[in-house]
Amino acid sequence: MRRLLGGVTLVGLLAGLVMGFGIAPRETTQGNVQRIMYLHVPSVWVAYLAFGVVLVASIAYLVRRAESADRLAHASAEVGVLFTGLTIATGSIWGKPTWGTWWTWDARLTSVSILFVMYLGYLLLRGMVDDRERGARFAAVLGIVAAFNIPLVHFSVYWWRTLHQPPSLMKPGPGTMPGIIVAALLVNFAAFTLLYVYFVTRRARLLRLETEAEA
Amino acid sequence: MRDNWGFVLAAYGLAAVVLIAYWRFLFRREKELEDATAIRHDLRQPSRNPASERPSP
Repeated sequence: MRRLLGGVTLVGLLAGLVMGFGIAPRETTQGNVQRIMYLHVPSVWVAYLAFGVVLVASIAYLVRRAESADRLAHASAEVGVLFTGLTIATGSIWGKPTWGTWWTWDARLTSVSILFVMYLGYLLLRGMVDDRERGARFAAVLGIVAAFNIPLVHFSVYWWRTLHQPPSLMKPGPGTMPGIIVAALLVNFAAFTLLYVYFVTRRARLLRLETEAEA
Repeated sequence: MRDNWGFVLAAYGLAAVVLIAYWRFLFRREKELEDATAIRHDLRQPSRNPASERPSP
């Protein structure tokens, strides 16, 4: 099953590359550097998804005290941190040729950095508490509190004046992008979602094996 | 506007390195733990030496 999921994910990622580089046209305003969007936007989608799963799994853990929910939250937070880091790095690389700077402390970039640091803290907290049950409980509370930052990140471009553009896809109302660019983005969204599921299932299994090895 | 292919390659290259590194970490750690579990499982099995089970004359 894992091999099948891995294979499908790989095919999805290759399809995303073909769509992003072979099918989607060169953007007229930004040129080919806009193709970073097919990596940057799905990365932030996976980060939102991952931290949303952390929220749900943390609530489930506090209610039921099921270790599987704790493992899911842990695995999802780790993958979310990975993709948030990628979002920040690829955004910075995209920002240099389009904005003329690698970094600026505008609301979107600052709020996503805070999100990154909060979930990094979540992972550190897990490592700092020796008692597994207590560590899981503390992490679950932090996993719930940190999730309040997700809407702040997403809507920061509406609530404050930012250099970062407003969302092109994840927004209410009709889209403004050409259909072929939307199609390329959607293929990459699907591929990155599969990659998220693949990583989280493997990481959660690894956490179970680690617990069994310590017992 | 210039195409800035160098920035595109940098972004995709960085993503590829990070994702492959994470996949390798998961793969290797899983293999380590599976091997350790198999060894522990073997050690816990009672010894099956036929000589020790033979009734004495």
